[in-house]
Amino acid sequence: MLELVPLIIAIPWFGAVVLWLTGDSHPRRLGWMAMIFSLASAIPAILMIFEPTAIDFVIPIGGVFGDFTFHADGLGKFLAAVATIIGALAVIFSQDYMAGQAQLARYYAFILFFIGGMAGLVLASNLLLVFFFWEITALCSYALISFNNDDPKAVAGGMKALVMTQLGGIGLLVGALLLYSQTGSYDIQTFIHTPGVLSPQLLSLMAYVFLIAAAAKSAQFPFQTWLPDAMEAPSPISALIHAATMVNAGVYLLARFYPAFAAVPGWRLAVMLVGAISAVLAALMALAANDLKRVLAYSTVSQLGYMFYAVGAGGVFASQFHLMSHAVFKALLFLAAGAVIHVAGTRDMRQMGGFGKQMPLVRTVFVLGALSLAGIPIMNGFWSKELVLEAGLHSGALWLYALMVFTAGLTALYTCRCVWMVFYGEPHQERHLHDAPSYMRWALIPLAAGTLLTTLMAGPFSRMLERTLPDHGIHAETTFHWLMEVVSAPATLIALAAVAIGIAAWGWRGRFGGLARGLRWVMHLADNSFGFETINHQVVAQVNRSAETLRLTQTGYLNWNVAGITFGLVVVLVLLAVGG
Amino acid sequence: MTVSVAVASVCAVFGLVGIGFYGLMMSRNLIKAVVALQIAVKGVLVAMVLAGKLNSQLAVAQSMALTVLVADTIVAVLGLALAVQIRRHFGSLDTTEISTLRK
Amino acid sequence: MLELIVIAAMIFCAVMAIRAQRLLTSAIYLAGCSALVALFLYQLGAPEIAVIELSVGAGLVTILFVFAINIAGDDPAQHPPILPKPMAWVLVLMAVVTAATILLPNYDTILPLVSEPLDDTLWEKRTLDVILQSVFIFAGVLGVLNLLGETTYDQEKHS
Repeated sequence: MLELVPLIIAIPWFGAVVLWLTGDSHPRRLGWMAMIFSLASAIPAILMIFEPTAIDFVIPIGGVFGDFTFHADGLGKFLAAVATIIGALAVIFSQDYMAGQAQLARYYAFILFFIGGMAGLVLASNLLLVFFFWEITALCSYALISFNNDDPKAVAGGMKALVMTQLGGIGLLVGALLLYSQTGSYDIQTFIHTPGVLSPQLLSLMAYVFLIAAAAKSAQFPFQTWLPDAMEAPSPISALIHAATMVNAGVYLLARFYPAFAAVPGWRLAVMLVGAISAVLAALMALAANDLKRVLAYSTVSQLGYMFYAVGAGGVFASQFHLMSHAVFKALLFLAAGAVIHVAGTRDMRQMGGFGKQMPLVRTVFVLGALSLAGIPIMNGFWSKELVLEAGLHSGALWLYALMVFTAGLTALYTCRCVWMVFYGEPHQERHLHDAPSYMRWALIPLAAGTLLTTLMAGPFSRMLERTLPDHGIHAETTFHWLMEVVSAPATLIALAAVAIGIAAWGWRGRFGGLARGLRWVMHLADNSFGFETINHQVVAQVNRSAETLRLTQTGYLNWNVAGITFGLVVVLVLLAVGG
Repeated sequence: MTVSVAVASVCAVFGLVGIGFYGLMMSRNLIKAVVALQIAVKGVLVAMVLAGKLNSQLAVAQSMALTVLVADTIVAVLGLALAVQIRRHFGSLDTTEISTLRK
Repeated sequence: MLELIVIAAMIFCAVMAIRAQRLLTSAIYLAGCSALVALFLYQLGAPEIAVIELSVGAGLVTILFVFAINIAGDDPAQHPPILPKPMAWVLVLMAVVTAATILLPNYDTILPLVSEPLDDTLWEKRTLDVILQSVFIFAGVLGVLNLLGETTYDQEKHS
């Protein structure tokens, strides 16, 4: 039988090398090749989903690295499919969006490298290998965010993403080395089956460093600031990072290790707290932002907060189901926003307005995505968000649940605001806008259909997860059962009421003028990202200052260096003499 | 007074390595630094053979010393090539003058 | 007793190599030191490595030194060292004294007499060393080429 696992990684990486070697001389041919490679990598990912059992694949390395093992279980298969399919759609969308841009070989090569890296990350079963792929995705995100590398803002945004996600990478490496030092193996599967191989103290240390790693990767509190700054990237890249290849890795990490860490005291609450705080803060910031892509970026942070919350509450299925919905509707929103920005030439929503009449297709798909984001019934975002909230209600604190319901209302509010400012309202620009060209349509329409249809996969998806993840406490049900569970739960009504209030608040925004003025300070705080930006700047300034100070010790004189070496030798010898 | 050959050899090792390090700390001339490095490595060479002798594994020690010797020779060659290049580019072999780290 | 004389001469050569004002003198003393180290290694019972040290350390490297000094020029001007002299002394002495206090008490033994064929060990047990050496030698060839290649370049520039 053909080995599917290495194919998913090898096809996009091979494509990346080929595209990179091809060069920029024929941009059209380059685009076609990128589409072929990205679609080709989606094929083994889809085929793998139909394999009933988990697939193992081993590259024997041995030694301190351990064997490079891959274990494609439900979680890995699903996320690999998301990465490759959404990635392929982003590549198709890029055909129009990036037309006429320079250095497309670099662009497409890094996208393919990114897709392969993410697929490897979710399929690998050796923690060191996971770290390796984790760093590849960080590198690719940096390279793609800074794609317009003559724009200092893009470079700064990429750098910020790289530095912040590196914090997470360090956490992951610490965890991996900890596991290796205690068990002599990097294997994830055995660790999840028997987390008792680590002493309780070390297990909790590992659980918390992994939480830091996941929070940094998924731009959760307190690392949420890198994702909005990453908006300097071209829109398809934003879609890729937000929906397919980057931020999902944090949620994946938590979901993967949930069975091992669930018993660690305080860990589940910490995960839920991180998720809830991120969800609320990001929703407020989305309400204050005027940059279309920033609104979407904050909404991603907020929705990832829901997924974190679900994992913390023990709802691994709910979190992954929401991840699926989110991947579809967020990719759709970003790509549609890209289509808008492409023709409007600005990202500022205050200069938009009334675009709906001229771009009916983009308006339709954007509204579908927005309805899904807001959690309006029958859209996929509704079902998955309700499942998340239900999981939280069953096993989390009530006040956290209330916070999440409140956030659901806020989500509806800022979504309405965003849609209104872009597609309805008074036009602020007197220019002719054309609707999405053909490649863009090819990317947008499947995603728009997905916002209506992915819910139907709930049953098979839960069965796949249950069969291959015995330790995660997942119960398989039919789709109908899942839907009935949502419909019949009283919690749904509460959440729907919150959403309705959110929408009503936008509809009657004129009448609540007094309330809005009273809450202006909140908006002001949100506009300043609740001071986290200031903290970042101070950290950066402090690091620069100490680097300047430490620079004095590096004279570049050989003699001083040798003196330092000799001094170090003396210290080691004295320690040996005293200790030995 | 009698001194065993082993103790004398250890003293030779310390002497050579110490002189080498002293030279590295004191000399400002690049070629002189390579000379000092050579002296220090000669001490290491003696130490390796001595260790092999003490542990009755002289052949292993010799083969390792051979590697050290080869590496040391290559370091000398590369160091000298570098020194010649630096002399050409900077017009000086003085390590303080060729440092660009200081503003 | 012969060993002690060789050691004393070796240390003397090393000191003179560091103290010499001219680079050429320094290189000659280094050659002498190398030769004495080779002799001492022979006395320790390691003739193979002694021969290589004599030919490579005292021969080849000295030639390269003279060659390089010839190209780069012998600059007899004395620059004051940037490190205070006592500091260097203290550091070196501290290192030597601490190491000696750890090691010397264990070394007051008569050296055992052993002989083991080197070639078997080298080719069969230490294959990695041989591979490494060939890599090193390759790097060395590049270094020599660099030394030589630039000479012609230099001559072209000046002619």
